[in-house]
Amino acid sequence: MKEVVLDCLGEACPIPLVKAENAIKDLSAGDVLIVQIDHSCAMKNVPEWARKEGHNVEIEEVDDGEWEVIIEKA
Amino acid sequence: MSEINSTETSASSRRSSRASSNSRRKPKKNQIPLGIGIFLFIALFGIYLSTKSNLLAFFWVTGNAFGFILQKSRFCFTASMRDPLLTGSTSLTRAVMVALAITTLGFTAIKYGAHINGLPIPGQGYIVPISFATIFGGIIFGIGMVIAGGCASGTLMRVGEGFQMQVLSLAFFVIGSLVGAHNFDWWHKMFISKGQSVFLPDIFGWAGAVVVQLLIIASVYILADKWENKKTNEAN
Repeated sequence: MKEVVLDCLGEACPIPLVKAENAIKDLSAGDVLIVQIDHSCAMKNVPEWARKEGHNVEIEEVDDGEWEVIIEKA
Repeated sequence: MSEINSTETSASSRRSSRASSNSRRKPKKNQIPLGIGIFLFIALFGIYLSTKSNLLAFFWVTGNAFGFILQKSRFCFTASMRDPLLTGSTSLTRAVMVALAITTLGFTAIKYGAHINGLPIPGQGYIVPISFATIFGGIIFGIGMVIAGGCASGTLMRVGEGFQMQVLSLAFFVIGSLVGAHNFDWWHKMFISKGQSVFLPDIFGWAGAVVVQLLIIASVYILADKWENKKTNEAN
């Protein structure tokens, strides 16, 4: 059970999503990927992609305009 | 006890530990007083503008409303064009199609209303010829907005949110617009003046134009939906 933190603070829209797609390939089922983002657009498309892939997703607003998308690989 | 812990090393326990670590973060500042202040400022400035010019006040109100909706809905024209290829998600593409369908009806109502009352049709000056410049500009703009992470309205909205990288986008957005305006005469002479301008109601009639346009929008919507299903099935 690994927990990987992916720092995408300051990265614009498609980059957090592409990074998360690549990062989750190296994980096995049950591992957790935490994507840190501060771009409001990524707040929408990262969870949407992860849910479509069937992973468990939670979003936490850790600070004003800063989010952690917690993805548990299914 | 240890057994229970080991079987429960799932995300839920991790999340609760994370949640407790989050509560140790510095508390968020309450933004509501600031929000009320800004709302009052917007309202008062709108009233002040209406004493100068009704049109200015109207622009002020619609501009603020547009920005608010754009930010809250996370509506993104860039993502509507990019995500179908990047992730296969077309929810925003379909949202843009719905928006286009609504504006089609709205603009037709405004234009037809003016037409049957014998008034000059508003906005006819924006009907410009289709030419190579349209394609070229579209490609340049498309490349730019995907790299910059936002189209024109998206960039402005995120500058307002305080996303620093897009302040840079805004600077180059202004520079690019100036370069474009500077070279516009050349484009106009070489391509735009040779193109043909099309106003659909002239060709199909008013009702026909609405039907044709809505049919095209509906078929794009259906294609987008099919595309998403296909992409999702490929991934799994």
